[in-house]
Order: sequence, then C-alpha cells, then structure tokens
Amino acid sequence: MKQKKTLLTVISIIVLFIGVYFADQNLDAYKTRILNLCAIYVVLGLSMNLINGFTGLFSLGHAGFMAVGAYTTAILTMPDAVKGQNFFMVPMMKPLDTMHMPFFFALLIGGILAGVVGYLIGAPALRLRGDYLAIATLGFAEIIRVIFTNMQTITNGALGLKGIPESSNLWWTFGVAVVTVLFIGSLINSSYGRAFKAIREDEIAAESMGISLFKHKVLAFTIGAFFAGIGGGLLGNLLGTIDPLMFRFFLTFNILLIIILGGMGSITGTIISAFIITIAGEALRFLDESITIGNFVIPGISGMRMVVFSALLMIVVLFFNHGIMGTNEFTWDKLFNKFGRKPLVKGGNKQ
Amino acid sequence: MTLLEVKNVSMIFGGLTAVKDFNLTLSKGEIVALIGPNGAGKTTAFNMITGVYKPSIGQISFKGNDITGCRPDLITKQGIARTFQNIRLFKDLTVLDNVLIANHLHLKSNFLEATLKLPRYRREEKEIREKSLGLLEKVGLVNAQSEKASSLPYGMQRRLEIARALATNPEVLLLDEPAAGMNPKETDDLTEFIYQIRDEFQLSIFMIEHHMQVVMGISDRITVFDHGVTIAEGTPYEIQNNQKVIEAYLGVAEDYA
Repeated sequence: MKQKKTLLTVISIIVLFIGVYFADQNLDAYKTRILNLCAIYVVLGLSMNLINGFTGLFSLGHAGFMAVGAYTTAILTMPDAVKGQNFFMVPMMKPLDTMHMPFFFALLIGGILAGVVGYLIGAPALRLRGDYLAIATLGFAEIIRVIFTNMQTITNGALGLKGIPESSNLWWTFGVAVVTVLFIGSLINSSYGRAFKAIREDEIAAESMGISLFKHKVLAFTIGAFFAGIGGGLLGNLLGTIDPLMFRFFLTFNILLIIILGGMGSITGTIISAFIITIAGEALRFLDESITIGNFVIPGISGMRMVVFSALLMIVVLFFNHGIMGTNEFTWDKLFNKFGRKPLVKGGNKQ
Repeated sequence: MTLLEVKNVSMIFGGLTAVKDFNLTLSKGEIVALIGPNGAGKTTAFNMITGVYKPSIGQISFKGNDITGCRPDLITKQGIARTFQNIRLFKDLTVLDNVLIANHLHLKSNFLEATLKLPRYRREEKEIREKSLGLLEKVGLVNAQSEKASSLPYGMQRRLEIARALATNPEVLLLDEPAAGMNPKETDDLTEFIYQIRDEFQLSIFMIEHHMQVVMGISDRITVFDHGVTIAEGTPYEIQNNQKVIEAYLGVAEDYA
C-alpha cells in the first residue's frame, strides 16, 4: 500500500513534467511567464505557510528574505560585462565583480544566505508573540531593503540590477516547486512538523511536553527563510531585473493573500491558491483598463484589480475563514476512499 | 529515595506573596496531594515546580539536581510531566498526534534526518508510534486515535492529557485537578486509573485535587494550603482531624454541630 502510494506520487510528478514539457514547447512567452510565476509563488507560499500556518508565528518578513535570495542569485549569475554596465556610478566590490557560478549553486547560496539572515532576525524577534512579532519582522524586512538600497558597491543601490541572465524557465521553477512541496510536506509529517503544530495549537502545553519553543520556532523560521530566498532567486532570474523597491511590504502581502486564501496550514491549499491568485491577477487585468458596457464607458483605473483582490480577501476572511482547504490536505488515501466506495455501492444494489 | 525536593520556596508577585515557605518531599511510588481553598496558591506551587514561574526564594531539586527556575521543557526532559487544570490538549490535532508530540523530546534525529526519512528516524518514528498506540490502548482511547482531540468527551480528554504526559517518560507526574468536573462514576474510574498508572510506570504522583473522596482515598500524604501558607501536613487521617484544616478549609463541621 505504501509502495503503491509512492509509485502514484512518482507517476504524478512524471505526468506533471510531461505537462511542463508540452507547456514549454507550445505556450507563448506571456503564458509561460504566468506559469513560471505560479510555480514560484507555490515555493514562496509554502515557505510562508511553514512559518505562519504550521508553526503559528505571525511573521511578515518575507520580502526581506526574498530580497537576500534574489540579490545573491543575481549577483552570482551575472556575467562580468553586464556587471560592468550595471555599476557605472560606483564600481562593484572586488571579489564579487568577477565571481560567477552555475545557476543551481547561486540559487542554493541565495537560499542559505536568506536562511542565515532568517536565523539572525529570528533569534531575537521570536521572543515576541502575535502582533508584536509581525511588527518586528516587518521592520526587519524594511531594514534589509534599506540596507540594500545603500550598499551601492554590492547591490548597485536604488538603480537595481539589470540584465540578469533569465535562467529561470519552466523546468527550474516547477522542479524547485516540486522539491519544495516534497520537502515541506515531509517535514510537516515528521516529528518536527508535529512539534511545530503543537506550538501553533498551544505554546504552554507544547513547552510542558518538552518541546523547546525557541529551538523549534527558530528552526521553522530559518527553513521558511531559506525557501523564501530560493523563491526570490528564481523570481529575480525570471524577471531579469530587480531593484530594492520590488521588495516592499506589498510582496509579502501577496504571499500572505495566497496562504490565507489557500488555508493556513495546508500545503494543498497553498498550491491551489498560488495558481488561482497568480492567474486571476492576470485574468483580471481588464479591470485596470477602461471598460465599455453598452454606451457606458468606465475609465480605466489602475489598481482596480487590487480592489477586487482586497474584496476577495475580505470575503474569504469573513465567510470562509479557514480558506479553501483549512488545514486539510490532499492524500492518496482520501482519493481512494472517495472513489473506492463507489463499486461497493453498485455491488450492493445488485443484491 | 527522595525524588523531588522543594525547600522553603516562596513566590512573590509584587506585594502579594502567593506561596510562602513551601516544603515538599516526594519519594518513589508515593502519591502526595495538595489541597486548599480556591486561590490558596496550589497551581502557583505547581507552576514553580514545572518551571513556568521562577521561585522568588528557595530551591527545588529533582534527583539531586537543582532545577530551580529551569525552562519548562528542560524540566520535562528531566522527568517531571504535568497536566493542566483547564485541559490544554492540542485541540485540532488527532488523539494519536497528541501523544506522538509528547515523544518528540526524546527524538535523537535532527530535522534533516526526519525530513529525508533516513533510517535512524524511521526506526525512531516506528518506536514512537508503537509506544503511543500502547499508551492509547492502556487509557482506552485506541479506537479514537484518528479523531480530533476536541471531539472527545470530557473524561476522555482528561485521560488523553494524562496519556500525553506519560508519553514523555516521566518519573514524577503532576496532576492539576484531574477529577475536576467529573461525575462520581468517572471519579471512581480515575482513582483506579491513577493507581494503575503509578504501578505500571513506577511513578510518583503529586496532585492538586478538590474531590475529598479522591484525595482521602488515594493519597499517602496530604499538604494543605491556605493563602499560600502550609497549614498542615500529614496522612489523610491526620488531616481529617486537624482542627486548623477544618477551620480554614472544610469549615463544614459547624453545620453538623
């Protein structure tokens, strides 16, 4: 039974990648971009859900970790010539200007650095709880952004980086997304994941069951920051250009929207809602333009999309406050139960 | 052999002395009860032993180690487990998960071993599962293992909380009003259950309880608190006949006079 489930998982991953292959061959650049963003938002959503949904830490520092990952990956993958063009105001710091490595290692180092930053922020900030933690992490994310704006010789400051090799393609984004889903899924179902959930449910009880709150909170926070860094790296190398203004609170809010809509504490929900939010964000673009209904012309208001999104979020919070999936997950067992019963019912009718 | 020793411990909150000069010794296999009127400082005494509060004065030692003011999780690791007055289960998790979580403190694998399901973790996870199912079997919850903890009836939730505490492999178990809100039948079952787990897991039990029926029947010794001060100590018989206790706590003697 267990082997059967593993086999099914492997088969569905293969099917997914066959789908990716066809998408890669047939879709135009615009649609490919959207699919790439979907996969990246799966990674980002899961990393945030690990912190906010599973461990119950209200953290809003995601944009900061993403910035660390995005800048690291970008700097480590940019060719020397492009670096020279970018840093025309002030030359780039010495070893970095000629340093580059394959995308995979750049991405990994970006993730690790984001994890280190997450640890350094988490260690003091996680002594706080609830709203206070949210404010502290939000502040730290802003600090990271301001530091990046001022580190002219490393990040090119407010000018940002342009001409980053666009290494993120469907294979990379979906590959990383699958690895993230498997990793976080496995972590959540392990003893550590249960400890995280225990902290979410009741800190006092968790502590008196021998779970070190500090150790486990920092662990969840660091792993979350690591994957946020990876997601940021993929995003930077997908867009080809990054600047500090990209990593404002708005970005964190987008990911928060995904995990609230999908369900805090559900991997399946995060995946579904990452796709819904990203695709809807594009599909609803007509709202920003002028609309003609009969003789009526509604002038285009840019940002109308976000009004709809906000309304959507409010509806979700008011009426479906557990999101699409709540804390439920898709499992093969549930699927079997759903379809497994039908033949029995039919057999019963015959008698 | 003295397991737990509390020496002259006081807890002062600002101008209020919640517990004053509290002394206790708990030997292996003993059942000691702490009684007293509401607000007498019983739960505060519990919270000091389990590390929730750091005592203002005094010393607490467990098996000869000073544990005064240690973190709660470290104290549990040493072998003191507790339950709570107002049940604190992990409500949205399953019954089995509740017990599995309490095994986490003895896990040796790190998170990468656990995530990648390496052999050591697989072995540990298997042991944890078998042990937890065994515990659920003993408390009669094995059939409810995949239900949400909050869906259990009250008495069963109490039992689950005790099972969860037992899963941490304690030597001393602190029960905070285990019989609170139970009907007479459930209370009898509980008394039986406490004896059973003491013998089976070789525990020493320190409990707070209001049900005199339970306390008098089960305890080897009783300590009585009133306004944070220990007013009497002794066997159930001695306590029942102690004039101070009757005045301060039982008070009902006059009604019969």
